[in-house]
Amino acid sequence: MEFLTILYFVYTFVAFYFLTIYIMTYFQNRKAMYETIEPDKIRSLSMVIPCFNEAKSIGKNIEAFLNSDYNGLKKLIIVDDCSTDNSYEIIKQYAKKYSKVIALQTPKNTGNAAGAKNFGIKYVKTELIGFSDADSLPNKNAISKMVGAFNDSKVGGITSRVFVNNPKNYLSRIQAIEYKIIAFTRKLLEFLDAIYVTNGPLSLYRKKAFDQTGGFDTNNLTEDIELTWHLVEKGWQVKMSIPAIVRSYVPITIKTWFHQRIRWNVGGIQTIAKYRKQFLGTGMLGLFIMPFFALSWFLGLTGLVFLGYRIINYIMVRFLVAKYSVAAQVALISMDEFTVNPSILFIFGIVLFSLGLAYTITALTYSKESGWIIGHSIRDIFIYSFFYLLMYPPLLIVSFYKYLRGYNTW
Amino acid sequence: MLKSKKNVLWEALVVTIVIFLAGLFLGMLLETSNSVEVSNLYTQSEISLTDAMTTLRLTEDSDFNCDVIKQGNIDFANRIYEEAKTLEKYEESGKLTDSIKLFHKKYDLLRTLLWTSNQKSLERCENYDLLVYLYEYNSEDNGKKALQNVWSKILLDVKQQNEDILLLPIAADQELTSLDLLMSEYGITQLPALVINNEQVLYEIENQNQIQTLLD
Repeated sequence: MEFLTILYFVYTFVAFYFLTIYIMTYFQNRKAMYETIEPDKIRSLSMVIPCFNEAKSIGKNIEAFLNSDYNGLKKLIIVDDCSTDNSYEIIKQYAKKYSKVIALQTPKNTGNAAGAKNFGIKYVKTELIGFSDADSLPNKNAISKMVGAFNDSKVGGITSRVFVNNPKNYLSRIQAIEYKIIAFTRKLLEFLDAIYVTNGPLSLYRKKAFDQTGGFDTNNLTEDIELTWHLVEKGWQVKMSIPAIVRSYVPITIKTWFHQRIRWNVGGIQTIAKYRKQFLGTGMLGLFIMPFFALSWFLGLTGLVFLGYRIINYIMVRFLVAKYSVAAQVALISMDEFTVNPSILFIFGIVLFSLGLAYTITALTYSKESGWIIGHSIRDIFIYSFFYLLMYPPLLIVSFYKYLRGYNTW
Repeated sequence: MLKSKKNVLWEALVVTIVIFLAGLFLGMLLETSNSVEVSNLYTQSEISLTDAMTTLRLTEDSDFNCDVIKQGNIDFANRIYEEAKTLEKYEESGKLTDSIKLFHKKYDLLRTLLWTSNQKSLERCENYDLLVYLYEYNSEDNGKKALQNVWSKILLDVKQQNEDILLLPIAADQELTSLDLLMSEYGITQLPALVINNEQVLYEIENQNQIQTLLD
């Protein structure tokens, strides 16, 4: 058997395995997907919201939290990271008007969200602590849907489901699909105790658990991933609430999208590097989360190499055939070159793709906001499945390169 | 708790292995079925070749009509050419077993036999031309692959324009002793190569007209 054939089989096997895990987990837990646990008592909560040049959105963010139906929300600590616009003025106006709102400003710009969050943490005295981004808008009942998870004393954190607030152009509409699939997958991972990130737009933590981590790692570009791994490493469970919805803005230009994804990937690599000694160790961090991360990257990269090799080879041969055919005055193509006799590799690929598509549609059906069954156009799903996902591996390669070069900027 | 989580991972692994093995088994069945079809075609070809060779042997000792020899050879060559296309179709989809590749080798041996058996009759009968196209089967060189693709098309065009041509495409890198001996007899050192009427060896073909001129 050829090396490429073996590589292809390894690739499809790993991909099949992941899909099977998801499918089995889904069927075993589908009734619990939307489950909300009623809190056994009111737990006090402080929200910490870092803000840097968010004058346009910070007001809406504060109001969304002030409208929350959760009675235990005691403080809204808004940390301005020395914005150059009038964000801090707006925050102070809200602080004057509402006693819950506390306006803080860092002595100097910390350069990342982790720094501002760590600054705000010092003012938290409640049983729970939560974080949100200044441009995120939680639903009125989002916090209420999450806090019940803390009835279980082993739960250290819970995250929410993010919907895209600005699906205006192609890129943002595709991201809207992506975010729903991420949320659906994250919920499935919860059933395996394998949630690897608590998102920035809205996540809550038990203060006692949070303190054990020592706060956010300011050297990590994805402080939320790092914090989650830290919690899991300390033995805490992390949950995800599908009914807790928060809306957030996503990049609408390729440039800002690319920059965001590079930051996410480099942050992921930084986190893997930091926790590398846990690999295949005890607990779900070492047994599943890290291998899952590593194998996902393996899948992406081998897929890219495999596809790239085939496409480049095909193009080169076709180019040379065309060149020689013109010189020899023969037909560029002949019907004999087209055969409809699929190989087993092709059949495996089709089955894998069909399963992946079925998974995407199931995830979207579960997450639909409005409209018909799926809530997204077939065209957008097509673009997501055939083009958008293909961008992941090249991004990963660029991120590896940037990581090795010491990339560490927001 | 961890134990129950691990169970899904093991269960999924077992399910994946079972599905994967079932898929591989299905693939092998498919390829075996293709091999059986090619095997049946090959048996027919073997019979035809034996018939053609017996005819040639008879002509060596008697005054047989050259038209009979020509037609027998060309019909047989055409037949194995068509079978080769079927073989090629299955060959591209054969990823698990080498059975189809072995059939390719057997067909190359058949064509080599036809080539050798035509050496004497070609001297006696001048009513047909013999083109032996020797190519590299296992080439990884894209340039060579493209070149061979174009050579095939040129030679097919030549054959389609002239019915009195016996065209024998043979993969020359199949480690067949008889073929290697024949190649060294003609001093063939590189591939692709075209042997015209057992007299001339070409390593470069410009176009169809060049071959047509040589045949005329």
